[in-house]
Order: sequence, then structure tokens, then C-alpha cells
Amino acid sequence: MTERFAEATGTSLIGGTEQRASRSLASLLLPIAAVGALLALVPLWLGDSRVMMGVAVVGLTFACYAIGFNVIFGSTGQLFLCVGALAGIGGYGAAILADTVGLPVAVSILIATLLASLIGGVLSWVAVRRSLGVIFTGIITLIFALAYENLLLGLGGLTGGESGFSISSGADSFLRRQIPPYYMMLVLVLVFLALHGLLRRSHVGWAFRALRDDELAAELAGVDVARYRVYAAMIGAAMLGLAGAIYAFTEGRISPTTFGFAQVDVVVLVMLAFGGIGTLLGPILGAITFTAIDEVLIELGQLRVLVYGILIIVLFLWIPRGVIPSLQAWLRRRRQT
Amino acid sequence: MILEVRGLAAGYQGSDVIRAIDFHVDAGEAVMIIGSNGAGKTTLFRSMLGLLPASSGQVRFQGSEIVGMPAQRIARLGISFVPAERHLFPRMTVLENLYLGAYPDRPDPETDDMVMDLFPRLAERRRQHAGTLSGGEQQMLAMGRALMGKPRLLVLDEPTTGLAPKLAAEAYQALDVLRGKGLTVLVAEQQVPLAMAFSDRGYVMENGVFELEGSSEELANNPQVRRSYLGVT
Amino acid sequence: MIANILDGIVLGLQFGLLAAGLTLVYGLGGVLNLAYGQMAVLSAIATLFAIDAGVPTLPAVGVGLAVGVLLGLIFDQTILRPIYRIQGEARVLLSLLLTLGVAFIVDGYLTWRYPTEGLSIRIGGGPIDILGVPMRRGSIVASVITLLALGALFAFFRGTTLGRAVRSVIEDEEGARLVGIDPRRMLRVILALSGFLAALVAITQSMVRPVTVTAGFGITVFALIVTVVGGLGSVTGAMFAGIILGMVNNIAASYIGTFLSLLILLGAAALTILIRPSGLLGVKE
Repeated sequence: MTERFAEATGTSLIGGTEQRASRSLASLLLPIAAVGALLALVPLWLGDSRVMMGVAVVGLTFACYAIGFNVIFGSTGQLFLCVGALAGIGGYGAAILADTVGLPVAVSILIATLLASLIGGVLSWVAVRRSLGVIFTGIITLIFALAYENLLLGLGGLTGGESGFSISSGADSFLRRQIPPYYMMLVLVLVFLALHGLLRRSHVGWAFRALRDDELAAELAGVDVARYRVYAAMIGAAMLGLAGAIYAFTEGRISPTTFGFAQVDVVVLVMLAFGGIGTLLGPILGAITFTAIDEVLIELGQLRVLVYGILIIVLFLWIPRGVIPSLQAWLRRRRQT
Repeated sequence: MILEVRGLAAGYQGSDVIRAIDFHVDAGEAVMIIGSNGAGKTTLFRSMLGLLPASSGQVRFQGSEIVGMPAQRIARLGISFVPAERHLFPRMTVLENLYLGAYPDRPDPETDDMVMDLFPRLAERRRQHAGTLSGGEQQMLAMGRALMGKPRLLVLDEPTTGLAPKLAAEAYQALDVLRGKGLTVLVAEQQVPLAMAFSDRGYVMENGVFELEGSSEELANNPQVRRSYLGVT
Repeated sequence: MIANILDGIVLGLQFGLLAAGLTLVYGLGGVLNLAYGQMAVLSAIATLFAIDAGVPTLPAVGVGLAVGVLLGLIFDQTILRPIYRIQGEARVLLSLLLTLGVAFIVDGYLTWRYPTEGLSIRIGGGPIDILGVPMRRGSIVASVITLLALGALFAFFRGTTLGRAVRSVIEDEEGARLVGIDPRRMLRVILALSGFLAALVAITQSMVRPVTVTAGFGITVFALIVTVVGGLGSVTGAMFAGIILGMVNNIAASYIGTFLSLLILLGAAALTILIRPSGLLGVKE
């Protein structure tokens, strides 16, 4: 069973399959549009319940997170264990800029997103510069995530500490209503998907794949590994920051647990592992599946953590490439026989 | 026959680097395997001694089949291997490195004395960390460590790599002394003249197969060998 | 100030012993055990249950230590197997993820089932005066035990054949195999030891302050920080880093509060990774 690990693109855990090279733009946009059309129908079904729409918004937010993480980890193999923290920089950053500093909401969101992107880039640059392997990249991003959480708790005056922050800016805007936030997030998801898809097809995407599969060979082929790693990190972090910022304004209230490691990183990992690290639609599949599952798990309270632990182990041992690639492989095998 | 190899093939990631290797070593003999870089000598030794899986073939040491056994078990059977990279324990002292050579047993004082006599420079530096030794001293330590296990067969992969000629000669002098005490030695070498003077018999390896074999004298007089390895036109 | 330093040393010794367990497993097996804190907590809880069941303190501590060893061996027989079937970077990744999964399973179960439990061993008797500072007896006992354990650890690694064999695998795995040492068997020994150390630290820590069921991840984080600063694979490094960071933690905490003092520790770890990834005394790649 774990032989599949080594099977997946050499020794890499990442099994994204971009089998055939770029085709027409339509072949990229059509699936995305289809997904968008389907998801656009959700409010017809859940629109009456404020609670359920809230869950749906969270689901799409996590889809955004998963896509961002997919760009960073799936494309270039950088294990960033600070997904929540980067999203939190977007969320808390925008909230503080809007409420405390008084900037307009849109500007706050923009600045916070850029900040997250910058920090993602710095983390990546540092990791590349110092040739940090997987473990050290993971540790240093984990340290960053922990530092961020502690900073939130320590600077209580600015951030509201453990109990968090009620955001007054934008309270009367469309973002706080029942249904518009959902469509806002949906737009974000589709844009991110399109962006990721375009990246994969461009020469940038080719560089990503090359360096993910064999860094040395890629370097010899002229790929500036450092630059592409940092690009991927900046783009992915921007996605995380933007999603975090917009989510903060739709919720109206954030606390350290909104962007905590156990709440965000673990869940995103599971979602992406399930859907397929490196694939285009994997994050969507993962997000939908686990938002639904999580609704059920809420009942269990602390046991929810236990279930996620089991899921991580099961997923990474038995379906390391994720559902989508495993399905594709299965279909391919069936076609051959 | 203390060592008998038949039909050995091995390689990396599916393709074989060495094929159809047949050879043997008798007790008390000194046998050399010569060949240029990339001929497959290291692959041969590694697959023989459990550091690399063999794709096919048999290796018999003192009658028992050892193909497929992990390296540490083979080491305990009485074969000591000194690889080209030496693989010493850099932050442990010379003494500690030597003592571990006898694992799992405690070092035998007689063997300890023998090694120290053979390599007096090691005795001087007994408390020094192995990583701080010079190239020549590290080679001596690697050999000494291999000897602490009182092996019946000593296998060396290019022991003179990176050594100045004087030190290389010293290394072979030590091997001569050991031969005199009855130790069986199998050595792979690129520096052919030294190996030739030392060995009884030899095999010439190129492109993963043995091309020639014979006594050292025969090989020394072989025109192809003289041209390729002894630089004689 | 002196009180802070002394408390810092008490804490630091614990840090060092704790990190020793984590760093050995990484140095030998290339596996970062993110479930380490949970191993410590489980051992503490085992001791607690034993005490609650009427077992006298000392044998109860024995139970806890035995549980620690057992957990290490279980770890070897279960989690390590799939991890060892792969090589290279995928192995590192898998080890991080699987141990994280285990950590969540144990943590989730314990905090759900026994949310308010915690081990606390009370050492009777009044405070002892050290350099003019009244130190709690529990702190002194914990420190003495820790020092003895560290001493025993050194004696083991420097003076025994098994200890040297273990070190050799950390130094050069292939070299160790060449002299007949089985790295897998050594790893098993180290895992049992690591479990023992986690248990010992949890139990001695409970003499200073209660060790609760929720402490798991915090313990892992501290162990990780000290391990990184001391150098992955170096027990001596772990000890030095532990004492230094213990003192830094206490002094900083009293001046700028606990959250920000943790930031300093995290910063130290980050700086180490950036400037000298092999840590104070670690194995230079």
C-alpha cells in the first residue's frame, strides 16, 4: 500500500497528474464553469437557513485555503504548515486596518493580502536561500504559525487576545448579509481555480512541475528554482490572505481559533490529501466532502480531533495521491484491460 | 573456496550494472579486481555484501548462501568490508571506532595490539575524533576497524583513493603483513601496479562484466592489460 | 533575579531531558515524532490512574515509566513500519503526517474522555534554601532526578557497548552496518528510551506543577524548539540548549509575559534554523 507512495511521481508524496499538455482554454474553463454553476445552486437549497449558509461560506473559504495551499505545496513541494497563519494575516490584518486604523474596507483587504503574500514569499525565499529541506521548511513554517498565534494572544490590546475581535467595519455592507457572501466566496474560488489552472499550463507551471519532480534536473535545465518557489509561495499566500480577509468581514468576528493550526492547517491538509494534492479540482472535492463531514462531526466535540487524526493516517497511508488521481489511475487501468 | 560467486547481477532502479559475475576466492589468497572508473567494482562489492540488493545470482561464504542477507549479518559472519568512502564515525574517537569494529564482542587485546602495531599513527591519535584525521590516517582507521572483527575475509574497495603514493604504499605494506598472518584479502583497485604486486590472482572488470582473469603474472604480461592499466604502449 | 535563574535551571534541565528523547529518535531514525508530547501525557495519566487505584506513589511512577517504554515500542512496531518502507523526502513527510495524526488521535480521545484530569505528585516538606532563594521541595527532587537521569544517559552512551553502537548509527548508518550493528534494532532501543524519557520528564514535572491532559502539544512544541536549537541528533546539544532556553524562558516570562516569552523561544529556534541548521552541537550534514 505504501508502495503507491513511491509510485506517485518518483519519491514524491505529491501525485498531481497533469497528463496531457495544455489544450484549449475552453478545456480549462469548462470544468471550472461547471463547478461554478453547480455550486451557484446551493443557496436555492440552503438559502433559508442563516446557519447553513454560514457553513456553506466556511466551506468555500476552506476551498480557497486548499487551493492556496495546493499552489504552494502541490506545485512546488514546499511544506508550509502556516496556512492558518497566512490566512490570519489577511483576516486580522484587514480587520485591524479597517477598524483600528480606519482605512476603507477594500483598501484594508488589499493591503492585508499583499502583506500575506509578502510574508509567504519571505518564508519561501528564506527556505530556498538556506536550502532547507522538507523537515526544516515544515518546522520553520510551523514556528511561524505558532509565533503568529502567540502574537495574537500576546498583543491583546490590538487583537482582542483570546476572545477575539468584533469587526465593525463593513457591518452594513453586502458582506454581512445572508446570501451575497456565499457568491463573493464562490467568485473567489472560481478565480483561484482559473488562476491555478492557467499557472499549470503556462511555462511557470512547467517550471513548477520540473522542480517538484527533480530539483537538480530542473536546475540543470535552466529553471531558476529559487524564483519559481518564491512565486508559487507568494501567489498561494496571496490567495490565503485574500480569502482570510474576506472571510473575516463576512463573519464579523474573528478569534485566534478562526485561523488556528488545528482548525485550519489540519483540515486543509486532509481536504487536499483526499481530493488530490497537485490536481486542479482536488481542493474543491476535498472542501465539499469535509465541510459536510465536519457538520456531522461538530456533534462529537473534542472527538472531532480524534477523527481527523484517523483521517490523516488513513488518507496518507492508503490513498496518498488523493481520490481524483486514484480514480484516474483506476480508470486508466480499466481502459487498458 | 572461502568465497564463491555465481551469476551475480545487480544494479539500480531496474537496470543491471553488473551481469553474470562468476569468481571465487580461496582461503589465504589475495585476489584483486581491477578496472576503470564505473566498471562496476563498487556495485559488485555492495551487492555481494548486502548493501545493495542483487537481482540474481548466488554468493557463498564458507559454504553458506549470503545473497539477500542484510549487511550487518554478513559482517558478523566473518567478512569485513572497507568501502571506498570508509564510513567512519566522525565524532567518535579513534579508540571508539576501533572498539566498535569488534561488535558485538568486546575488543580482543591481542587484536588491538596487532592493529596498533600495524598502524602506529593510530596509536598516537587514539583519543582524537575520527573526523579530524587526515586522509591517510582515516584509511588506516577504516582498515583497523575492519580488522578488529577478526574477519576471515577482508574486502577493500579502492583503499588508495585520494592517498599520496607514499601512504598508498604503506597501506599495501600493511596488507602484506596481514597476508603473512593468513588473512584472505579481496581488493578492488584502480591503482593497478600496487594491487598487482600484492595479489596472487586477479580479474579485470569492464562495463559490468569480467573480461579477463588469471594470475597476477599472467595479467601483468597481458598486452591489453599493459596498455589499458599499466600505461605501457 | 536569582530566583528566576534557579527556576530557569530547574525548567531547563527538564527541557534538556525531554528534548534528548526527541532528538535521539530524529538522529537515529530520521523521524520527527510529533506525538511525543502525547506519549508523555499518556505516561503521566497512567501514573495517575495507578495512584487513584491505590498503588503507592513509587510503584505508580514505575507503572508510568513502563508505559512510556511500552509506547515507544508500540510506536516502533506500528507507525515506523510504513514509514520505513519508503526512502528520502517522502519518508520525512510521511513521518511528520503520521505522527501528527497519532497526536491528534490521542489528544482528541484524552481531552474528550478525561478533560480535567492531570497528574500532580506532591513532595512533602518545606522549602529548601538554595543561594538564599526558598525552592520548593518538588522542584529540587525533580531536578535531582533529572540530573541523575542525564548522568545515566551519558554513562550509557559513553561507557557501554550498546550506547556506543547507538551513537555509531547516528554518526554513520552504513558504517554501523559494516561492523555488524543492526540500525533497526538500535532504533527500537532508542524508541523505548525516548518513551522512557518522555515519561520521566512528565512525572518529574508533575512534582513542580500539574501535568494535565491538554499539555500534550505544548510539550511537543517545547521539545521541538530545544531539539532544533541544540541540534538534531545531539543529546549534549539538547541539554545545553535546554538549560539556556529554560533560563531565557523564565527571565523573559517575568518581564514580558508568557506569550511573548514563547515568541522569544520560537525566535531562537527560527534563528538557529536560519543561521546554523545543525544547531549548537548537531550533526553537520
